[in-house]
Amino acid sequence: MRRGSIFQLLGIAAIAAVITSLVAVLVPWLPVPASREAGRIHFVYWFTTIICIAVFAVVAAVMTYSVLKFRVRPDDDSDGPPIHGHTKLEIVWTAIPAVLVTAISIVSAIVLAQNSRTGSNPLVVKVNAVQFAWKFTYPNGKSYGYMTLPKGRHVKLDITANDVIHSFWSPELSQKQDAVPGQHTYLVITPTRTGTFPVICTELCGLGHALMRSHVTIIPAAKFDAWLKTGGQAASGPPGLAVFQENGCGGCHTLQAAPGANGKVGPDLDNLKQEAAGAKQPLAAFIKESIVKPDAYIAPGFSNAMPPNFGTTIPPDKLNQLVQYLEQSAK
Amino acid sequence: MTDLHDHHTAPARTGIKRLTGAGWLRVLWVTPIFFGIGVGLPVLIRWLAHWDPIWKGSVILTVELVTVPLGFLVGLGGFDYWAYYASGRPSVVDDHASHGAKSWRDYFRVNTDHKVIGIQYVVTTIIFFCIGGLLAMLFRAELAQPGDQYFNPQTFNVLVSNHAALMIFLFVIPAFAGLGNYVIPLMLGAADMAFPRLNALSFWLLPIAGAMLVAGMVTPGGGPSAGWTCYAPLCSHQPLGQVFFNMGVQWAGASSIMTALNFLVTIITMRAPGMTFWRMPLLVWANFTTSLLVVIATPFIAGSQFFVMFDRVLHTHFFEPGGGGYVLGYQHIFWFYSHPAVYIMMLPGFGIISEVIAVMSRKPVFGYRLMALSLMAILVLGFSVWAHHMFVAGMAGWLRVPMMVTSMVIAVPTGIKIFSWLATMWEGKIHFTTPMLFALGFLSMFVIGGLSGIYLASVPIDIHASDTYFIVAHIHYVLFGGSVFTIFAGIYYWFPKMTGRMYDERLGKLHFWLTFIGFNLTFFPMHYIGLQGMPRRVADYAGRFGDINLFISIASFGLGASTLVFLYNMVKSWSHGEPAPGNPWRALTLEWQVSSPPPIFNFDEIPQVVGHPYEYGVPGARHAIFGAPKPLPADTEPIGTD
Repeated sequence: MRRGSIFQLLGIAAIAAVITSLVAVLVPWLPVPASREAGRIHFVYWFTTIICIAVFAVVAAVMTYSVLKFRVRPDDDSDGPPIHGHTKLEIVWTAIPAVLVTAISIVSAIVLAQNSRTGSNPLVVKVNAVQFAWKFTYPNGKSYGYMTLPKGRHVKLDITANDVIHSFWSPELSQKQDAVPGQHTYLVITPTRTGTFPVICTELCGLGHALMRSHVTIIPAAKFDAWLKTGGQAASGPPGLAVFQENGCGGCHTLQAAPGANGKVGPDLDNLKQEAAGAKQPLAAFIKESIVKPDAYIAPGFSNAMPPNFGTTIPPDKLNQLVQYLEQSAK
Repeated sequence: MTDLHDHHTAPARTGIKRLTGAGWLRVLWVTPIFFGIGVGLPVLIRWLAHWDPIWKGSVILTVELVTVPLGFLVGLGGFDYWAYYASGRPSVVDDHASHGAKSWRDYFRVNTDHKVIGIQYVVTTIIFFCIGGLLAMLFRAELAQPGDQYFNPQTFNVLVSNHAALMIFLFVIPAFAGLGNYVIPLMLGAADMAFPRLNALSFWLLPIAGAMLVAGMVTPGGGPSAGWTCYAPLCSHQPLGQVFFNMGVQWAGASSIMTALNFLVTIITMRAPGMTFWRMPLLVWANFTTSLLVVIATPFIAGSQFFVMFDRVLHTHFFEPGGGGYVLGYQHIFWFYSHPAVYIMMLPGFGIISEVIAVMSRKPVFGYRLMALSLMAILVLGFSVWAHHMFVAGMAGWLRVPMMVTSMVIAVPTGIKIFSWLATMWEGKIHFTTPMLFALGFLSMFVIGGLSGIYLASVPIDIHASDTYFIVAHIHYVLFGGSVFTIFAGIYYWFPKMTGRMYDERLGKLHFWLTFIGFNLTFFPMHYIGLQGMPRRVADYAGRFGDINLFISIASFGLGASTLVFLYNMVKSWSHGEPAPGNPWRALTLEWQVSSPPPIFNFDEIPQVVGHPYEYGVPGARHAIFGAPKPLPADTEPIGTD
C-alpha cells in the first residue's frame, strides 16, 4: 500500500468519524436521565458509542476509498491481483474486535451489578400489572393507578402480573422489567430528579396495550413521607373512582367523570343507561354482570375483549363501590 | 450414469385417468374427502368418549389444518411415488416424468427438477414479500398520526403480526432456500438434489403455509394478534385465527427442515469429483451451515407452537401459570429456535455476497478458509445466545451476563466476514452492476445493524432499549438491510442463469437506489424514537412522536413503491430481455460453465474440479474442466493456489 493512499484513507476515516460524532452528540438520542440507574446506563451507551464510531469510521473509509479508487475502467476485462489472504491482518481483525467487545462486556456487567443493588433501606413498591392498567401498592397497604416516588432513595419494585406478560418501563428512569404472571420480578430505581414521567407497557399484552400508560411522579423525600400519610389524590374522589383507576378501566373505556379515562377499545361508559336498556336489564345488575361476566352481553360494534377475571381479582366490597360509582356517573 | 438421461415422459392422460392422475383435477376431489375426515375424526372421538358438545368448531378447525393440506398434497401427487413404492405397484427409480419444465404449466405441478423448484420458490416468496410489504404499508398509514385512524387495535395487531410472520417464514427463509435450490446442485457439479421428490414436496408445503397465515388474518372472530413471537399466555387466549398461525408455522417449518436435510445430503454426497470441502464455493458453505442450523433449531419452534396451541385447544397447562405452567418456558423454547433463525436468515446471504463481491471485484475471496470457519463459528455460537432476547423477561438473573458475553463474541466472526469482504474489494477491478450495488448496500447497512446489535447485546443498554422502536430499527437493518438486500443481489446475479435472459441494468440500479434511500429514511429515525420512549407494537402513541412517525410513514410508502420497479424489471426482462450468454459475469464457479438456462440435467459431462472457485487474476487457473481425457487426482492444485 502506498503512503498516499494511507493518508487518503485516514482522511476519509476522520471525516466519517466527525460526521457520526456530530450525529451522536447533536441529536438528543436519550431522554434526560431521572434516576441513578439511568445515568449508569447512559454511561455504557456512550462508552459503546465511542467504540462503534471508531469501527464505523474504519469500515466507511475502506469502503468509500474502494468505491472511488477501484472502479473498473470501461472495457477493462482484466482481473485484480490474486491476493488470497494475509494471516497477520486476519489475526489483527479477529483480535481487535474481540478486545473491544470484551471491554464493553466488562463495563456492562459492572453497571448491571450496580443497577441491581437495593441499598440497606429500600422503599418496596408492589407493582401489579393487569390488562390494561398498573397498580402500585405501598408498604402502608394503599394502592394507586400511578406511582409516586421519593427523590434520592432506593426503590425496589416487586413486579408481577395477573393475566398475561406486561413490561414496566419509564424512559427517563431507563429501568425496564417484564411483569410475568405467576412469578415475581424485581427492579431497582433511585430517582435523582423531581418531575412527572410516563410509565408505559412495552410488552404486547392485548387490545389495550398501546393505552396501558401511567405516570411516575418524583417528589422530594421529605414531601414523600407526608404524601404517604395523606394518601395522594385517590382519597379525594368517591371510593369507586379509586377502584376504577386501580383496575385501569380507563385504558379501554371512556368515562368523562374519571380523569384520563378515554379508552376506545370497549364501550363508552357514559352510555351505560342505553346499553342496559339494550340488554333489557336494570342498570346496577347490568353493570355488575358486565364486569364479572363480560361475555354475557357484548355491546353492538365491540368484540369480546374484556378480561373475564375481574370478578375474582376485585374484592366484593370494592366491586360494589365500583358498580355504585359507575351507576352514579352514567348519564 | 447413462440411464440418468433416459426420459420416461408421461403419456397424455384421457378420460377417467385425468381425474385419478396426479394434478389439480385430483386436488378438487381428494381435498374434500380429507376435509370430511377432518370433520369426522374429532366428531367420532368426541362421540365415543361422550364429550359434550360432540360438535366443537375450534377442535374441528385445528384438525382440518392438518388434513386439508394433506389432501391437497395427495391430490397434487406429492406422495405418489412413495405410495406406489410402498404398495408394491410398479415404480421406476429413474422416473423423470415429472422432471423439468417445457411450458409454464410445469411450474404448477409437483416437479422434481431443482431448477424448476428453485424458480417456484423464488416466485412464490416474492408474492408473499409483496403481501407482507402491503401489510406494513397499511399499518404505517395508521401510525402516520397518533390516535386511532383506520384500524382498531385488533386489526392493527393482526397486521403487525402477519407482516413479520410472512416476511420471516414465507419470504426470507424460503427465498434463500429457493436460490440455494437452484444454485447448489449446479455449483457442486450435480445433476439434481439428493432427494428430488422430497424437494418437490418441501416446496408445495410453502403455499400451504402462506395460505394458512393469510387465511388466519381474515378468520371470523379475529386473526392472530399476539405478534409474530406469539408469547404465551397472551397467545393461548387469542381469537380463532391464532390456530392458523400456530399451524401455518408448522408447515413452513416442515418445509424448511426437509429442504435443509436435502441440502446437507446433497452437499455431503453429491460433490463432483475433485470438489473437496475446501474447494466448495462459499455459497455452498453458507447453505451447509444454515442447513445444520435449520435441522437442529427448527424443531424447537414446532414444539413451542404445538404446546401453545395445546394450551388453547386441549386445555393443557404448559405455559399457563394458573395450572402450574411455566410462562417463560415458552420464550426459552421459542428463542432457542428464533435466535438461530436470525442466522438462518443471514448466513445464506453471506454466501451470496461472497460470490458477488469476488466476481464483481475480479479478485479471490480474501481469507477463504477463515470465511468458511467463521460461518461454522457463528453456527456454534448462534446456539448459545438465545436468552439475549429475554434480558428483561424475568429469567434467572445469572443467565444474563454469560448470554451477553456470547452475544458479544459473535461479533468477532461477523467482523471477520465484513473485513474480508472489504479486503476482497481492495485493489480489485470493481464492476458496479446491480448485484454489486446490492452487495455494497448490504455491507454498509449490515455494519449499522451489527453495531446496533452490540448496543442490544449489552444488558444495561438492552434494558433501556428492549421492546422499543430501537429494536424495530435494529432488526430491519439486519433483516432488510442484511437479508433482503442479499436476496436482491442473488436474484439479480443469477437472473441470467435462471431465465436465460439479462435483466435491465438501468432499472436494476434505479431499484437499488430507491430501495437504499427509502430504507434508510424509513428505518434510521426509528432508532431515535425508540430510545426516546416509543414502544413497539402500538397503534397509538404519545403525541410528541407524531411528526417523526409521519415522516417514517411517507418514507415507507416510497420504499414500498421501489418494489414496483423491481417487479416491472423482472417481468419485462423475463419475457423480453436480451438472451443471456452462459457466463455473463465471467465467473469461475460451475453454474456459469453451462448454458443459461442449464440443460435439463445440468451437465452433459461430469465436471472435474481441479482448483479453487475464486482464482481471479491467477493466470491459467481453472475451477473445473469438462471432458478431461482422464480424471485428475482429486488433490491436484492449479497454478498459483495458496
